[in-house]
Amino acid sequence: MKPLVVEQVMKHYGDKTAVNNISLEVSEGEIYGLLGANGAGKTTTMRMVLGLIYPDGGSIKYNGKPYSNEQLSRLGYLPEERGLYPKIRVCDQIVYLSQLRGMSRKDADQNLKYWLERFEVPEYYNKRVEELSKGNQQKIQFIAAVNHRPSIVIMDEAFSGLDPVNVELLKSTVKELRDAGTSILFSTHRMEHVEELCRNITILHRSNTVLKGSIKDIKKQYPRERVILSTENSVQGLESISGVTGVKLQEYGYEIGIENEAVGGEILRHAMAQSTITRFEIKEPTLNEIFIKTVGDRNE
Amino acid sequence: MNSFWTVVGFTARNKFKGKAFLVTTLIIAVIISIGVNLPYIISQFDTGGDKATNIGYIQSSNENLAEGTATGDSLKAFYEQQENAKLHLVAYPDKGSAEENEKQLKQAIKDNDIKGYLEFGAKTPNGFPEMSYKSEKMMEFSLTENLKGALQLIRQATILQDAGLTDEQVALLNAPIQISTVQISSSEGGAGGKTPAEQGVNMGLIYFIIIFLFMAIITSGQLIASEITAEKSSRVMEILITSVSPLKGMFGKIFGMFTVVLSQVSFFVIVILVNVSLPHNREALSGLNIDLTKIDPLLLAYAIIFFLTGFFLFATLYAAVGSIVSRTEDLGQATMPMTVISLAGFYIAIFSLSAPDSMLVKITSFIPLFSPFVMILRLGLTDVPFWETALSIGLLLVTIYVAVFVSAKIYRTGVLMYGKRPSWKEIRKAMKAYKI
Repeated sequence: MKPLVVEQVMKHYGDKTAVNNISLEVSEGEIYGLLGANGAGKTTTMRMVLGLIYPDGGSIKYNGKPYSNEQLSRLGYLPEERGLYPKIRVCDQIVYLSQLRGMSRKDADQNLKYWLERFEVPEYYNKRVEELSKGNQQKIQFIAAVNHRPSIVIMDEAFSGLDPVNVELLKSTVKELRDAGTSILFSTHRMEHVEELCRNITILHRSNTVLKGSIKDIKKQYPRERVILSTENSVQGLESISGVTGVKLQEYGYEIGIENEAVGGEILRHAMAQSTITRFEIKEPTLNEIFIKTVGDRNE
Repeated sequence: MNSFWTVVGFTARNKFKGKAFLVTTLIIAVIISIGVNLPYIISQFDTGGDKATNIGYIQSSNENLAEGTATGDSLKAFYEQQENAKLHLVAYPDKGSAEENEKQLKQAIKDNDIKGYLEFGAKTPNGFPEMSYKSEKMMEFSLTENLKGALQLIRQATILQDAGLTDEQVALLNAPIQISTVQISSSEGGAGGKTPAEQGVNMGLIYFIIIFLFMAIITSGQLIASEITAEKSSRVMEILITSVSPLKGMFGKIFGMFTVVLSQVSFFVIVILVNVSLPHNREALSGLNIDLTKIDPLLLAYAIIFFLTGFFLFATLYAAVGSIVSRTEDLGQATMPMTVISLAGFYIAIFSLSAPDSMLVKITSFIPLFSPFVMILRLGLTDVPFWETALSIGLLLVTIYVAVFVSAKIYRTGVLMYGKRPSWKEIRKAMKAYKI
């Protein structure tokens, strides 16, 4: 039984449909990516999963059970906007929030210390949140979401406002959580994070699901249409090979558009005849390209 | 239940820890201490500072001034006989002419020897000469009243002496007359009545309860509302609502704040009691005839009931208001109706202390938002049939039940509404969607 199953869920605000028939399943130890442009319905979906708002139709099941107050302690939530008491010390509020989710005071305190060590900021234990920088507040926010050892964690834009070093730190922590068996529902605008972390994704566009499935399968649906070629000397006549749709000269060499994968072999042979090849790659489409292809044209 | 106490503890702890809270509590405690000791402090200055006012007059053997001199002398003698007399007459010798005398007296005023002087004219039918009091100040009414009273007593004494009354008869004439008031209960089996001392104590208790209820409502109401709005605007609310059921969250907050206010109020009461029981104040208390043992225990019980119900009713409503507003700046405007209602209840009660049986008081003592203030007034000062008290408390409890239900719904709904203040229609619609 999957920890989180969302089935045919709908939400309307007045005449406006915020979420239309979204379905997704998150297994144990999986990070599920929820993608979409601004206003696509990601946050609404997450709020419904959290029970903050009720769906107008469909069902959400947690380990096969419907939403109830007992589920609360099993959920962790990292909201998009910071949600902490600015004037209260880090230790006080994290312990408080964990206690509310059924953890003992001592346990919560110990776990908080572990997490602060993990993020290399043990000195924040006694600081007030308003004294911390935005990125560090985000770390505390992250701790607030996971300190009570939830089995399902909802992360809305987890990495926003962080520098690259801290993004890596947080990413490795998220992976750790995943490997420990936590189910994570994850939303972001940054496609490279999704490619690195998620097995399955759903792309929302204007309240509708436009693309859904495992990243591998999705990528297979999109043909490989690009070849990267780096050579020691310049190569002539690439444009004249049949099946080539375009050649762009880049710093690293050539970026060649192709009609299908078979053309790649032609290009390789053609180039080898003229020069030594240092790099040849038939690129699969990036998620970014897929996202822009499915959503971008109609993006508001 | 566990998380309820967690919320209570967290709310109370953070308030107690807050510097602003500690500082204001201390400042108020100091002000209370000064206030309680003020009569004593003033009396300390009194003995040395409040000297009798000196008034000059011309003492002369001249025939024209004989009447004036006699009046002045008898006034001088009268005030000298009294203990702690407010006035003291100073005689100045006759310089011969009216101008010279005036010059002399004016010089005396300038030298600060006297504050003013009496000038006498021709004799009038009332037995005394014409008199005028001259000084640099205007409107010396209390002083002239004092002089008038003295002269009246002097005249009375002279006439009584002439009439040949005995000393007992004179004493009888001067003996004060007393009427005591006893409040009784006309209903059967009513209490035996309340003596003036008991009435005084009851009045004091009612005053005390009404003021404290009002203060507790205003301060904690604002605090509850602003805390909820702050949680909402800092978006902690989204995490809170996904951690603890809204009902527990809201009441944890209210109860936590109640603990804070109650301990603050108790602290103030202790400060007052400590100050009152200081040796120099004990005398003053017994002088005012306030005996704290005379408090009616039933009234005290009612006072506590109305304090608690009143507090919780207003607190829940403030919580609801706080959860509708999304920015602290808008809070003042939103809590305005609540503040006005509590002010109205407070003023109805305070201004009706002298007329506790008016129709306004009777009607408002059944209206839930006013009754905590007004019913306690009626209970303390008049004889209220039991069914009326029961009805008032019953109505209050029903209202609290409804308010709790509606407020919890508003809280659950309102905390997720951001942006502009939602219209009633939006609130109603959203409320239908949420279970508490």
